[in-house]
Amino acid sequence: MNGNWKITCREAHVLLSERLDRELGFAETLRLRAHLLICAVCTKVGKQMDFMRQAIRQLDR
Amino acid sequence: MDTAALNDALAGLRPVLFKLARLQLRNDTWAEDVVSETLIAALEAAPTFAGQSQLKTWVVGILKHKIIDCFRKAGREVSTDAMVEAAEVEAFDELFAPDGHRTAVPLEWGDPEETFKRTQFFEILQMCVDKLPPALGRIFMMREWLEYETTEICKEMGITATNAFVMLHRARLRLRECLEINWFAGAPRT
Repeated sequence: MNGNWKITCREAHVLLSERLDRELGFAETLRLRAHLLICAVCTKVGKQMDFMRQAIRQLDR
Repeated sequence: MDTAALNDALAGLRPVLFKLARLQLRNDTWAEDVVSETLIAALEAAPTFAGQSQLKTWVVGILKHKIIDCFRKAGREVSTDAMVEAAEVEAFDELFAPDGHRTAVPLEWGDPEETFKRTQFFEILQMCVDKLPPALGRIFMMREWLEYETTEICKEMGITATNAFVMLHRARLRLRECLEINWFAGAPRT
């Protein structure tokens, strides 16, 4: 990741997935939030990852 | 619930238990063994239940423990292919253009609760999880269904945290694509 606050969609996707497996750092969180504010596509993908997590947990119901 | 009724109820659960075990273990023989051990354990515990849903939840709980035990026994065999797959890291390159933007726009999935009302959705979900490459599927289900911490997965599978993150990410991307193609693209459904 470069030294400024902007990240690409590819980097945002990585963070969106990793936030489900570990705690993101402060800078990572800010960068991701800033990107999601301006990117509807990544925002959607983030919600879809949450959706899938909920769905898998319901598999045995 | 008397013994005869319990036997019947457990027999009725066998197919779904097998399906869940197979999703996780990717091996029919192991799945059969684990389901049998689960049913024996359930019979031996001989609890009393108010209704069917409580029984299923309880039995699935036993199943999860048996699956975890199975992983511990199988430890070594399972990690080798996980490490091989972990070595191929850049599989989701095709999703992104050189400038870092996504090439295909995802669909709108809507309210999860509405989707979860449809049993057919869960059949599609199981199919999509089944389609994941074995090592990805195993790790994904350890994380998402057995709710292992990432550190626990790394220990069980003998992989690094970086490997685990990459594999989980790839699993999620594949699952997302599969669900989108096979469920959400076809909406609205009756």
